[in-house]
Amino acid sequence: MTTPSEDDVRDALSRVVDPEAGVNIVDLGLVYGIEVSPSGVQVQMTMTSAACPMAEMIVDNVYAELAAVLPANLSADVELVWDPPWTPDRMSEVARTLFGWQRSG
Amino acid sequence: MSDAPVPGAAAAHTPRRPALERLPLLLLGFIALFVGTAAGLARLAWPMPDVASGAAAWHGPLMICGFFGVVISLERAVALGRGWAYAAPLFAGLGTAALLHGGMAWAPLGYLAGSIVLLLATLAVLRRQREGFVVVLAAAAACWTIGTALWAGGAAVHEVVAWWLAFLVLTIAGERLELSRFMPPSPLALRTFTVIVAVLGLALLPSLAPGRPAAVWGLHAFGAALLALAGWLLRHDIARRTVRQRGLTRYIAVCLLSGYGWLALGAAIVAVSGLQPGTATYDAALHALLLGFVFSMVFGHAPIIFPAVLRVAVPYHPVFYAPLALLQASLALRLAGDAVGALAVTRWGALGSALALLAFVVVTATAVLTSSSARPRRRAR
Repeated sequence: MTTPSEDDVRDALSRVVDPEAGVNIVDLGLVYGIEVSPSGVQVQMTMTSAACPMAEMIVDNVYAELAAVLPANLSADVELVWDPPWTPDRMSEVARTLFGWQRSG
Repeated sequence: MSDAPVPGAAAAHTPRRPALERLPLLLLGFIALFVGTAAGLARLAWPMPDVASGAAAWHGPLMICGFFGVVISLERAVALGRGWAYAAPLFAGLGTAALLHGGMAWAPLGYLAGSIVLLLATLAVLRRQREGFVVVLAAAAACWTIGTALWAGGAAVHEVVAWWLAFLVLTIAGERLELSRFMPPSPLALRTFTVIVAVLGLALLPSLAPGRPAAVWGLHAFGAALLALAGWLLRHDIARRTVRQRGLTRYIAVCLLSGYGWLALGAAIVAVSGLQPGTATYDAALHALLLGFVFSMVFGHAPIIFPAVLRVAVPYHPVFYAPLALLQASLALRLAGDAVGALAVTRWGALGSALALLAFVVVTATAVLTSSSARPRRRAR
């Protein structure tokens, strides 16, 4: 395996789905940043709710998807942040359409 | 960036493993579920083992404080990721142990302590995320504390049950308000939600002085607020959209939408009849709200809460719909019996609902034990 590009990492993360919404974490706008360096991959992400116990499971799933695309010598580091807070503006067009947003809204 | 811990960070280097240390706390909740359900059947004169028939008077506290209280405070502790928050399900579980062992002496204090820790844990979440929905969750926990404090102080279960209903309904409403942000409600809709919750809370205040006429009128207003809340949730919940998806996502949505139907029905009964203990409307309202609404919610979320709490996979299977269908059908039977005054029909409906709960536990446990991999199941888009 070669070092993945940022897009490869984003594709991997888009295989992690929030089962309640039925939408992946990239389209929900939960992924804040992806940094690929020679030593490994850093992901910064958030959750919509700090009261939801699913955070741990979703972070686990992110690690599992990263492990599938990273060569063995690269490490993965996922940081869960609450600042800045998630807002619906971060949702992709795909996710907005799914939840019935008006096109102009 | 944030003082929040990073759940799952250790998974970078260690394989995912079940969080079995949380299992005993969950089991305390399920003991209350089993004994509490059997105690409910004993009240309807189904022959039950001594441990259940002896607890017949504690059916409500076992289900609400012993089961829901433990499960909700356990998942809040997992979300917060702080050790002290696990004292909430532990205290509440000890309350159940005390109730089954010696009756009223210590049990309310265990539940009261659990409710206070849940409130503190929710306030800690609020410090991390200052959002309206967390305020609703904190108000819900406060309702559990107030109702349990009144009960510990000598009030009867039927005098505090509205507080306990508010605990469960507001907990669910808070979680759904949060998820509604995927199809954001308008500012007007959000103000409407705030007014509904405020009326719901104010309507409970007269019940602090039970026996006064105001307490009776308060309960009618409480029912009306619940009905308005059901309408708001039906209108704004993402389940309206996600029910068009497939698999687990659709199943969760079906659980939610059927639950809202029961919430509306139970709320309407409370709005019209209040909560008069010993009447058919009391039985109908409480079980529409608790079995129909709250348990539908539990059925829907077990496949994501179990993986979150125990770190075991609960792969979706269409058989999940079977316990849900039995729950709906048996509850409809029970309420039909209540409506026409046929106790025999109500009894069979209650037995059907107990079997639905049992089937739910069996189906969920089977899904966990037969899942081929310790890794969580993910569905590609």
